[in-house]
Amino acid sequence: MSAITVQIPTALRSQADGQESLQIEGDSVRQVLSNVCQQYPDLGKRLFKSDNEINRFINLYLNDEDIRFLDQLDTQVKPGDELAIVPAIAGG
Amino acid sequence: MDNDNPHSLDRYHRQMLLPGFGEQGQKRLAASTALIIGCGALGTVAANMLARAGVGHLIIVDRDFIELTNLQRQVLFDERDVADSLPKAEAARRKIAQINSQVRVTPVIEDVNHTNIERLAATGEYGRADIIVDGLDNFETRFLANEVAVKHGIPYVYGGAVGTVGMSYAILPHTEHGDSPWEKAGRATPCLRCIFEQAPPPGMNPTCDTAGVLGPLVSIVANYEVVEALKILLGHYDAVNPALLSIDTWANTTRRLKVARAYEVGECTCCKKRSFEWIEGRYSAGTTTLCGRDAVQLSATGENRLNFEQIADRLRAHGEVKLNNFMLRAQITDVNEPFELTLFNDGRAIIKGTKQPARARGIYAKYIGA
Ligand SMILES: [Zn+2]
Repeated sequence: MSAITVQIPTALRSQADGQESLQIEGDSVRQVLSNVCQQYPDLGKRLFKSDNEINRFINLYLNDEDIRFLDQLDTQVKPGDELAIVPAIAGG
Repeated sequence: MDNDNPHSLDRYHRQMLLPGFGEQGQKRLAASTALIIGCGALGTVAANMLARAGVGHLIIVDRDFIELTNLQRQVLFDERDVADSLPKAEAARRKIAQINSQVRVTPVIEDVNHTNIERLAATGEYGRADIIVDGLDNFETRFLANEVAVKHGIPYVYGGAVGTVGMSYAILPHTEHGDSPWEKAGRATPCLRCIFEQAPPPGMNPTCDTAGVLGPLVSIVANYEVVEALKILLGHYDAVNPALLSIDTWANTTRRLKVARAYEVGECTCCKKRSFEWIEGRYSAGTTTLCGRDAVQLSATGENRLNFEQIADRLRAHGEVKLNNFMLRAQITDVNEPFELTLFNDGRAIIKGTKQPARARGIYAKYIGA
């Protein structure tokens, strides 16, 4: 098991005890997010539409690459990777 | 310096020195039309810089009027505009006339929705815009702008900002026949819907009223939009940033999110399947709760222009009424609750004092008539 950095957007920080980023263990994006959900269930509810599906207005970028164009939730991660949760920004 | 000649390019000297501009580029900008949708924080900054850069025609669309709390970040407006209760589009026109008289500004005081966006961007009296610049505060209208961009082959620069975080991204759309200059240059980019399949639902994100917004942040985001807009208007498609830029000015992070494969890998309903659901009005609503304010907007009811004098006479019994050529504003107390009703002459209304669409419709029906 290795820990990666999960970046939490401002909009969701209140569901992660106000933290900007988390160190989470896992070998794949799916495993990392499942650990996020266990530790921060409220955050999990905002991210996932169902057990296997991320809400479609939220994007996940592993080292700035959209995981939809890698192996989706099965994308493998390695120590030091950075997973950014990026919701669309609507204001202006 | 030749300040008297209305066509003189002297004022653009420092800009024409830049690679990719020159006199030819400057003339190209002068012959260009930019449609700026929304003239709030992002829109005023974008309009200001596009006007100073010498983009010949700016169509500025905004449904709103200026309030004191706008001045913290909306750079084209001042206290006088607040006192005069000017619509934002008109105030922008007046200010830009003083900044650069070579630029023609068409102010449009309308709510942008599926019934008018194609007319404003491509098929109406203003002709076809060369670029659409995002000054919006909601994703519904952005998806509309994105669809119009894809359907009519008009580049569209997205910008969004809230709190201390912002995003910007330039869309060089895939067109129906694939024959646009940017496609020929191999520089088409995924559309906004390729990247964000769905609009975030209400309550998902903080809004201006829950999170606030940092003035310099909106300037940064809007100026990124303008940089990309200028590259596109000048035809420098190779210089356009293909990444989605994401900035957090408080956490000091800037990300260039790689989105280029979204078109090939994705199944975008808009730019790949060419289905334009937002333009067809499939998601439209008659009322909008306004971002940042305790207010609801009601869409225009029809083609008929309202008779302000007549309405003002009726409303004076209920409270103070002010009116000018563009709007009528009445203070109304209804069931012991104060409301401010602002009517525009296309029949659109903004009811301040509630966030409930039904309550707003009730006030409208009661004092204006459905
Ligand atoms: Zn698309």
